[in-house]
Amino acid sequence: MRKGIRIRGNGKRQCWGGARIWRVPGKAKPPICASPSCSTPLPNLRHLAIIEPLVYLTLRLRLPDALIRLPSGSRLCTRRSSSALAPGSGATIFALSSGQGRCGVAVIRTSGPASGQALRILTAPRDLPPARHASLRLLSDPRSGEPLDRALVLWFPGPKSFTGEDCVEFHVHGGPAVVSGVLQALGSVPGLRPAEAGEFTRRAFAHGKLNLTEVEGLADLIHAETEAQRRQALRQLDGELGHLCRGWAETLTKALAHVEAYIDFGEDDNLEEGVLEQADIEVRALQVALGAHLRDARRGQRLRSGAHVVVTGPPNAGKSSLVNLLSRKPVSIVSPEPGTTRDVLETPVDLAGFPVLLSDTAGLREGVGPVEQEGVRRARESCNFLATVVASVGAQSHSDSSQRLLLVLNKSDLLSTEGPGPGPDMPPHLLLSCVTGEGLDGLLEALREELAAVCGDPSTGPPLLTRARHQHHLQGCLDALGHYKQSKDLALAAEALRVARGHLTRLTGGGGTEEILDIIFRDFCVGK
Amino acid sequence: MFSFRGCGGRVAASFTKRQFPLPRLSSDSAGPRTPHFDVIVIGGGHAGTEAATAAARCGSRTLLLTHRVDTIGQMSCNPSFGGIGKGHLMREVDALDGLCSRICDQSGVHYKVLNRCKGPAVWGLRAQIDRKLYKQNMQKEILSTPLLTVQEGAVEDLILTEPEPEHTGKCRVSGVVLVDGSTVYSESVILTTGTFLRGMIIIGLEMHPAGRLGDQPSIGLAQTLEKLGFVVGRLKTGTPPRIAKESINFSILNKQTPDNPSLPFSFMNETVWIKPEDQLPCYLTHTNPRVDEIVLKNLHLNSHVKETIRGPRYCPSIESKVLRFPNRQHQVWLEPEGMDSDLIYPQGLSMTLPAELQEKMITCIRGLEKAKVIQPGYGVQYDYLDPRQITPSLETHLVQRLFFAGQINGTTGYEEAAAQGVIAGINASLRVNRKPPFVISRTEGYIGVLIDDLTTLGTSEPYRMFTSRVEFRLSLRPDNADSRLTLRGYKEAGCVSQQRYERACWMKSSLEEGISVLKSIEFSSSKWKNLIPEASISTSRSLPVRYTFLIQTFSHFL
Repeated sequence: MRKGIRIRGNGKRQCWGGARIWRVPGKAKPPICASPSCSTPLPNLRHLAIIEPLVYLTLRLRLPDALIRLPSGSRLCTRRSSSALAPGSGATIFALSSGQGRCGVAVIRTSGPASGQALRILTAPRDLPPARHASLRLLSDPRSGEPLDRALVLWFPGPKSFTGEDCVEFHVHGGPAVVSGVLQALGSVPGLRPAEAGEFTRRAFAHGKLNLTEVEGLADLIHAETEAQRRQALRQLDGELGHLCRGWAETLTKALAHVEAYIDFGEDDNLEEGVLEQADIEVRALQVALGAHLRDARRGQRLRSGAHVVVTGPPNAGKSSLVNLLSRKPVSIVSPEPGTTRDVLETPVDLAGFPVLLSDTAGLREGVGPVEQEGVRRARESCNFLATVVASVGAQSHSDSSQRLLLVLNKSDLLSTEGPGPGPDMPPHLLLSCVTGEGLDGLLEALREELAAVCGDPSTGPPLLTRARHQHHLQGCLDALGHYKQSKDLALAAEALRVARGHLTRLTGGGGTEEILDIIFRDFCVGK
Repeated sequence: MFSFRGCGGRVAASFTKRQFPLPRLSSDSAGPRTPHFDVIVIGGGHAGTEAATAAARCGSRTLLLTHRVDTIGQMSCNPSFGGIGKGHLMREVDALDGLCSRICDQSGVHYKVLNRCKGPAVWGLRAQIDRKLYKQNMQKEILSTPLLTVQEGAVEDLILTEPEPEHTGKCRVSGVVLVDGSTVYSESVILTTGTFLRGMIIIGLEMHPAGRLGDQPSIGLAQTLEKLGFVVGRLKTGTPPRIAKESINFSILNKQTPDNPSLPFSFMNETVWIKPEDQLPCYLTHTNPRVDEIVLKNLHLNSHVKETIRGPRYCPSIESKVLRFPNRQHQVWLEPEGMDSDLIYPQGLSMTLPAELQEKMITCIRGLEKAKVIQPGYGVQYDYLDPRQITPSLETHLVQRLFFAGQINGTTGYEEAAAQGVIAGINASLRVNRKPPFVISRTEGYIGVLIDDLTTLGTSEPYRMFTSRVEFRLSLRPDNADSRLTLRGYKEAGCVSQQRYERACWMKSSLEEGISVLKSIEFSSSKWKNLIPEASISTSRSLPVRYTFLIQTFSHFL
């Protein structure tokens, strides 16, 4: 009877029928303004240090182009999505389940009723292997009969599988040609289609194999390549974010209850004076809190996708040596000659437990050949040098900038032991020798602190909004609060609060009208 | 579809077995003269009258069984109809051609729309009603409704038979047994017995079994229902004392005058029966610390207040107001009971103190210093049936073709009862004709919210309608109840008269025409800015702007 539209958010009556995949609106942009061309002349950096050369490290955020998309199963008020995407719609999906790129073994999974048939077709003329036993099979393209790979295959008849449906896993050799060959072969099997992002998890969820928090936590666990990510993913399962959201939802519910009381009882019941004014104040305060949190919350996304650390500074300062030292592999060619690095070289590393994209850049100098000039331009672009590095150093403060700066003075081994150290007017800095490794521990500790500030250390501080879904609803809540103004039509103003509360309760659950009435009758002597 | 008047000859207000003009007389073993109806409605309150007339409008031969014909249409508590949320329900009942809105337009003595300054979605149509007129007009309507028979009699038991295999339920109801042992057969039965199931009246420390004061409680029926396995809960409510009008000093009190012009409840009426200048005023006074003192000193004499049974939070007794919100002045509205009534209803003074203390307390209140209490206030405790035992069509899960409507489902208020009555009447009739049930969803009306809340969540206190319960409040306005429900009621239920249907169609097409005219309007943005200063519209746009665009930008979050 109430198919199709989910009406209200009482926990007892949640309906998941309308689960749908959402997308982050628009393409995520790097939030930091990286001016494409920097025409301002290079600052004279020499006065900043008495020891040359300098290595600046800046950390900057890199947002992924597309965030992981997951089912937003907790939407309480949603319409049924297209049948093609609805769980249990009969389609069989397949996808590469291991990471992209070259690797030893790649795992390709299918889920759905045609999984068994697909396995039979690819491994013809052999029959299905025994359930849940690894078997070695020759995979061939069903169209040409051409052999693709000798692979380990696993057959999981439903419901005893990850998704609850019939599933097959192909463990093939990790070369791109093999992987794409098997994927194409699967695509040619009738009834199979490539999976939407997160669709395996969503099917598992739809078949009751996972609940929503598990789904979200699982997604992060899969991507927790590092310790910090793993800890945050585990913390999310504990519902700390939910706790924070529940606090906001409580405030909002109270404000809404007072407005609702004014609508349902205002005129011939004696509500106290100032009920609406008090609601106004609470809504404004909530707006401020949410706004602050949302700005802060970007850190959560940084942690999941990796912070961007750019090593920059004058030529021949030893930037490439530092990059090689930090990544423990020869990423960049090093030589005593200034200007050896002419382009931005990026390498993903694990720094003190945080995922980091480390960039080596060309030394910043003028009057060199066109290739190096381009390298210098890219280096500037890469760290938006003038806007942040110099300003930060000059102001001796990192607080206002979303880019953080560590001043590292390399080649400390060249300092004479008795000679003058860095002058008292130097900005805070670290001494390092890439040759002896002296000062590396201090640098790593400083980096850990900086990265924790940028990414948020999941073992301390407020829980981060790792899921863009949370950010989406908090933003939706904030937007709706912006429309709350007590116009002539109080019902319209109340609607804004209802929309805002709806967003919050999609994160926290609950949200029925009984809660509102409970507050009304607790706070007011109404009724005749 | 039918005419309201001039059919009196076909209806019997009470009858003996030899005087059945309408029902089939069954020829089975139960006896050749055993009457047989399509629908039997037990109870003649606000749910029962709406249920009986709705079933009859749908074409079912209907029997209304009530203790006393002369109490049909009795307003047992407050002398008013409507209010915020309740006015919405009345408009929806009217859209389905129910009675109460039309009767109120003929019987009110003070019409006032609440919440006028808070937006049209939450207007609360309300009126003080003359009890006597309401009863008279209701009885006239009931006794002239075609296909509807009225009989006096107390129901003692239900007749149960084998269930229909294609439906759930452990048995099927096929009639009722009256106190005198006689039987009446029917295809469906609607139970609207209000507070009569094991009703207890409490004044001070005295308790005696009763429904409303002076009526008999239904005990046999309560036992039958319990034996069938229905889960029963207990609720309480109360009513204030009635005060002699001439004993009140109105001259020192705040006077509230009615609206001018009056807004009628029914879509079928352009005006109400009475001119605004002929209507009666209401008066406002307040309690004071001496009232608190009397309440607190005499709690030991007040068994009703001390009970743990849940009472309505929004209709609290003066005792519970004093206990929960001490040291405050509480409002007391003095409402007329009718044009020629010498009683005043002190809204807000519901109480269960011993009778002599009630007058003592009332005379502490400003304007009531010399007040005479004509009838003391009292509390009522009664059984209700957990409404999660009924479907959205109000049929019980346990017993096929048995429907519950009104206060028996744990609601409070005339309007809530009337709304359920209409739905039960329609569905009892549709069930007999083997048609799909008529269900209003939460997205379509306050009735839908009411029934959905009851049938899915149940209730632990008497359930009252509020606009805050309604998710789609902005769309479910009192003014558009006809376009939401009348067309459906006509096509799917057959409960709407041709005249009303045509009027609703005319209204719908007029609105559509108006909207298309509005959509076609284009002005420059600066002209729009002049016309609607609130709209946030950029005047820098050089192209003409359509009204629809303006609406989109104006109500962005909707």
